[in-house]
Amino acid sequence: MSVSHTISRRRALTGGLAALVAAAGIPTLFAARPALAHDADCPYCKLKVVQDTKEQDNEVVLRYGRKRIEYRCVFCALAEAQTAQYKTGDVTVLAPSEKKAQPVVIERKGGKWSAPAGAVFVAVKQSHNHCQTTYRAFTTKAAFDAHVAKNQPLLKGAKPLDLNGLLAVAKGQ
Amino acid sequence: MERRHFLRAALAGAAGLALGPVLPPPAAAARQNQKKPLPELPKNLPWWLTNRDANHVFWTRGKYNFAVYKVRPLALDLNAVSVGHSMAYEDMVTGRTAQLETKTFARIDNVLKNPPRFAPSERFIGNTFSRRFGVLEQVFDQTHLLHSQTVDVLAEPSLSRAEKEAEIERLYEIYRTTTPYAITPLPLNMGYLYGQSYSRAFRNRYPKVNGLFWGYHWLQGAMYDALYGLTLEEQRKVYDVLGRQYHDVELYRTDRIFMPMTAEVSPRFSARFPHIANVFDNLHMLHDMVNDILVTEGLTRKQQDEQVTRAIWLVMEKAHEGYKPGDAPEPNGWRDYRHMEGMPGMGLMPDMTPEAMFMQGLGWMSLGECHHCSMPLPEGRDAWRAHSVTADGWTMRVRCPLCARDMSLETKGRAVLYVSTESPERPLVLISDDQGNLTPASDRGRDVVFLEQEASHAGCSEWSQAFTNRAAFDAFVAANPEYRGAKARTLAEWSALEGKRPDTYFKRQGPPGNPFDGAAEKKNEGSKP
Repeated sequence: MSVSHTISRRRALTGGLAALVAAAGIPTLFAARPALAHDADCPYCKLKVVQDTKEQDNEVVLRYGRKRIEYRCVFCALAEAQTAQYKTGDVTVLAPSEKKAQPVVIERKGGKWSAPAGAVFVAVKQSHNHCQTTYRAFTTKAAFDAHVAKNQPLLKGAKPLDLNGLLAVAKGQ
Repeated sequence: MERRHFLRAALAGAAGLALGPVLPPPAAAARQNQKKPLPELPKNLPWWLTNRDANHVFWTRGKYNFAVYKVRPLALDLNAVSVGHSMAYEDMVTGRTAQLETKTFARIDNVLKNPPRFAPSERFIGNTFSRRFGVLEQVFDQTHLLHSQTVDVLAEPSLSRAEKEAEIERLYEIYRTTTPYAITPLPLNMGYLYGQSYSRAFRNRYPKVNGLFWGYHWLQGAMYDALYGLTLEEQRKVYDVLGRQYHDVELYRTDRIFMPMTAEVSPRFSARFPHIANVFDNLHMLHDMVNDILVTEGLTRKQQDEQVTRAIWLVMEKAHEGYKPGDAPEPNGWRDYRHMEGMPGMGLMPDMTPEAMFMQGLGWMSLGECHHCSMPLPEGRDAWRAHSVTADGWTMRVRCPLCARDMSLETKGRAVLYVSTESPERPLVLISDDQGNLTPASDRGRDVVFLEQEASHAGCSEWSQAFTNRAAFDAFVAANPEYRGAKARTLAEWSALEGKRPDTYFKRQGPPGNPFDGAAEKKNEGSKP
């Protein structure tokens, strides 16, 4: 084994220990926290991508060719997908739903958009800081109703939208 | 040496230095909009800081001179940068500051879109500025020459990597010994330099033209990793990606929170030549300080001249003699030479510590760790083993080919992947299109094979590797029996893989918000929706 590999292993151990310490949650200013994903700012709205939690998924993924890019909300992903850069080619948007690990899969194939039967969306224009609440996908109308009821007054008067309705809201934004 | 410098003998023993110029005590870390008195001009400055001569340093002789024209679009873009700088400075000193964001911007923008075929001498465009600030012009000229010749060496295809590195070191020694106007190679504290009473005046009042300046600095930083270690064919293809980013995005960004640092956009070059990366960052900060001084309201002409002289002195090598990287006799002050952990080619940025820095769009991170898996990057003599990803205006070093591939796939737009192999002379350069399809930038990638046996990222630099050919792969497997039976994957096979989320990744945390301009106290509403 080369010297460099020995060094590499030693440093990896150091790094691994650092990660373990961080995971233990030592509360210092620059202490790290365990992350569920590699995170960055949303390419569309430039706000932080809200990470998934144990209870709820939040990260929206746009797949374009082999790219898989994270967005902050389904609005951002669909708005981006309708820009010139993504006009050609198929795209898939994985939009978190009310069920953990069961995203609503939105696709554009050959220029035609589709979503699973029964999927509904909430889209209410508020400060984009609240986009995790104001733009979401649901597998059923009942889940939409429960979400709207739980998030009053932010979602006051919210109407369920189908995919075409959401695309229209996101288009040209 | 005699042929290239007029001043060395006359200036090297400058008497003023013996008296030990002293700056007023540094203030604590700067805060935006904080009222501070105008700093005093230090006493007993060396006489050469106020000389009225028109000294000109010429190119060091070398077969590489003007090799940058082999990557012609880059050469032309650099020519336009010289014009843009000079036009703005000339307008600032001839009573046309009020039109900076309109007529000056339009004039510069036209040059950037229609660059001159040859590099103009800045003094012929900014002649009023050059006459008034002759010493500053000499500092700029001499350091810009180091910029130019370093790029020429990197772009010269007849030199080996080792020959290029040796020649760059020789050019640097010539730079710092020819005249006294060399900028310090130490990592200066950017928070202190950007925390003067006049700081940020230019950025706040003229965001479009400031955006152009910082766009130039982005290009002048990013070009090094675009050239370093690459063949001419690869350099041309990489600049096709970089040049597009420069013209479409970087020049017109007005949301940048700080000037681009060389190590942010050329981390491989900065790790190998930290002293030169520091010189360039200190030079760019001097540009910013001069901009701020010239547009700060209420300063008399004499005060402007004094502050420019002081700003020059703040970054001179002579002013920092006797110190070394890492020293910090004045933490957060003028004499604070700490650097970002894992990156000696980057001084501390405003309100940051060596452990964590804030990169726009990417958040807090350590430059000594892979941004994809958080594992430590190779250092020192092994630094060349790091890989890198260039996308969306940034360049990040990563620890293994998998990290490079997956990080590029998780980033919007085209990307450049620099993948180290078992040979420092034979890296693999891949271009990713908008959809993440990878293509080798030259035929050096023709025979490449990959090892990828995904496991914990604590060991990713071993189980994920690229080899120049099958024989090198087989030699590695033979020397490492734990990989017996491992599959040698072609580029096409490897490209189709998709790694899991790294088990070792953790997000560094710093203070909330943007550390540069008080945005932490503002409510961030995002940019578009």
